[in-house]
Amino acid sequence: MLSFLLRRLVLSAVVISAISVITFGLSHVAIDPASGIAGDSATPQDIALIRVQYGFDRPLPAQYLSYVGQVLQGDLGRSYLTRQPVADMIASRVGVTATLAGLSILFALALSVPLGVLAALRPGSGVDRLALTIAVTGQAIPNFWAGLLLILLFGVTLGWLPISGSGTWAHFVLPTITLGSFATPALMRLVRAGMIEVLEADYIRTARAMGLSERAILFRFALRPAILPVISLTAVQLGFMLGGSVVVESVFALQGLGYLAWQSMTRADMPVIQAIVLMISLIYVVLMLLADAINAALDPRIRAAA
Amino acid sequence: MFRPTRHMLLAAALALPLALPAGLQAGPADNSLTIAMGEELPGFDGYISTSRDGVVMTRHLFDMLIYRNPETFDYEPLLATEWRRIDDLTWEFDLREGVVFHNGDAFTAEDVVWTLNTYADPATGARSQAAVSWIDRVEAVDELTVRVISKEPFPAALEFIAGSLPIHPADYAQSVGLDGFAQAPVGTGPYKLGEVRGGDFTLLRNEAYFEGGGKGTPAIDRIDVRLIPDTATRIAEIIGGSVDWTWNVPADQIPQLDRLPNVTAELGTTMRIAMILLDSVGRANENSPLADVRVRQAINHAIDREGIVAALVGGSGEVINVPCYPLQFGCDTGAGVAYEFNPDGARALLAEAGHADGITLKMGSFRDRSRAEAIQANLAAVGITLEIEMLQARASFSSWREGQIDMWYGDWGSFSIADTSASMGNFFDGGANDGARDEEVTALLAEAARIVDEDARLAAYSEAIRRATEAAYWVPMHTIVMGYAYRPGLNFAAPVDEVPRFFLASWE
Repeated sequence: MLSFLLRRLVLSAVVISAISVITFGLSHVAIDPASGIAGDSATPQDIALIRVQYGFDRPLPAQYLSYVGQVLQGDLGRSYLTRQPVADMIASRVGVTATLAGLSILFALALSVPLGVLAALRPGSGVDRLALTIAVTGQAIPNFWAGLLLILLFGVTLGWLPISGSGTWAHFVLPTITLGSFATPALMRLVRAGMIEVLEADYIRTARAMGLSERAILFRFALRPAILPVISLTAVQLGFMLGGSVVVESVFALQGLGYLAWQSMTRADMPVIQAIVLMISLIYVVLMLLADAINAALDPRIRAAA
Repeated sequence: MFRPTRHMLLAAALALPLALPAGLQAGPADNSLTIAMGEELPGFDGYISTSRDGVVMTRHLFDMLIYRNPETFDYEPLLATEWRRIDDLTWEFDLREGVVFHNGDAFTAEDVVWTLNTYADPATGARSQAAVSWIDRVEAVDELTVRVISKEPFPAALEFIAGSLPIHPADYAQSVGLDGFAQAPVGTGPYKLGEVRGGDFTLLRNEAYFEGGGKGTPAIDRIDVRLIPDTATRIAEIIGGSVDWTWNVPADQIPQLDRLPNVTAELGTTMRIAMILLDSVGRANENSPLADVRVRQAINHAIDREGIVAALVGGSGEVINVPCYPLQFGCDTGAGVAYEFNPDGARALLAEAGHADGITLKMGSFRDRSRAEAIQANLAAVGITLEIEMLQARASFSSWREGQIDMWYGDWGSFSIADTSASMGNFFDGGANDGARDEEVTALLAEAARIVDEDARLAAYSEAIRRATEAAYWVPMHTIVMGYAYRPGLNFAAPVDEVPRFFLASWE
């Protein structure tokens, strides 16, 4: 188990380094950082001066190394535009995004587990088809479109829920549905597939033969093994929630990390973009690592295979 | 090609006879106004936060020395009661007595001297150096008299003093530092900053605001500013009734919104001009076909500007033939060469230049894809293949400034300054904006920005415009219209300079 975890840790470190190289490279190719700092009314002389002052004239690998050195010391740099430390900007927004991502994944689980179980009990039935329809629709509708449809119905026409902002819990209802419905389909299909497989297993037949109630079979013996793979997928989906929040937060005017990323992109505020991409990747990698570890702890075959 | 957009979705929804909620009516009931803006401000320092939304907030929190009336375009007293020219370099201002900052500090000459001298120093990092770099120094004559001395004769001085130079309280600003000031600003303006919640914040009426200034006395008690980046969401909020005012509403939404009983929607004329800059100096491509004046003229002839304005700009948008906004001082519309829509002529010019087989160019743009695609179609008809690169505003402008594209279809608001030095002067200065690098035009504009005699200035601008349009360095396109949507019963006048003034607004 220990060597499995170590291998995974090393792999994660490699992934994070690769991501940091890519984001650093891309952000220096996309825009000249010196002209980004100098602003729109700067002369070429101003820009040349800034290039030297900030060390942008050095070779890229050297710049990358000093960037990594800073990041490792917890210094994510300062925003080109607000001059605030990027770490502070991220810290003040992470709460909204965490709330949204957490609520969305709970919503997705609350919807996908019962639906998946119901669909598995009667494959090919009306319930199964309904679940499939929900899955396909949820996956096919882009976030911003779904968000606007919900806004039109519940915010504008019915007037039941606030349209945008983050003042009260009611403000999180529509964004949670929007973002959560994107994660629902994959989770539900996995629950369904897992349940079908388990329900056909020999020990379930034995349980039935022993005269256990259908309810006990379902909840005490079938659901637990069937739901194992869902745990790791939930971790992956939580990562997607963080990425999806870029669009959803902008549509619903929630001022979280995703919105900060979007705003920074429109302003070419590279240090902020770089830090957010790095942070979300880091969270993603940690979640994957966690999921792998849980799976490995629960299933010896995975440990052996790795 | 038909591509359903989010705006079309809203348009479809608007077309239905919706059972609308009555609206919250909080605005008129408690004399407050909720406005939705699209852009988060980097802070409240008007010298750093120079985006359009930042300029709007600066005018509410702070005062300049003088005020330019948005209707008459006359200068009126504000923090200064009288002003006079002492010599070619020097303006003297008599300051208003008894003005206090939001924190209770008295306003004196010392505040003007400190603010302007500090931000005129390039090391302070004012974002728009054009607004301050002309200042040599500012001196106090006595407690309530200051002199602003420019490095060279600078005819547009009053424009910048009235438009871009808010006065900060010297003692407070020094005690909190630049970054602290941007987060907790103190001014003399008609509104002071209340609560800040992330990108949302509240402006409260300054009960101690002085009387007799050009801004008058504010009527609305409280302005709640909400940050809603998505245009469709802003429109939904105004229909839903929890936002009283918003802007940047797409032109095609205006008629439908205006039909709703609880929304007034209109398109306002602005000073903003749209244009296509041509990289004639060959920054993006050493062997650029745009180096040939005939190719540039062909592009001018190939684009159906009347058609684009009628179909895709709307409202009071107008075709322009000059590289400046026609109401700016020095923008002599008669001096420019106007290129009429003539695809045959364009093809002939291209053939003459040796490009009968066609050429391929890359154009960057940001505001409106449909307009960029109309240009693409126009140019395709004469044998020019146009690759379009749509980016966000700032990234798009950067790709032009860094010489990565042959053409840039952008627009320019001249910092709301009614002088040609702020439009043409910004793009033919030999700097990163300048894709023409015509030394004669640059010299003419530099001269026009320096001389004080108005007739001589006009003559220099006219000559610069004639040369620049003959050489077809730009395709001057059209003025931009701004879409506003607000609650009926709000007295609001759409301003030509794109700076809404809520201190002039009131509920009926």
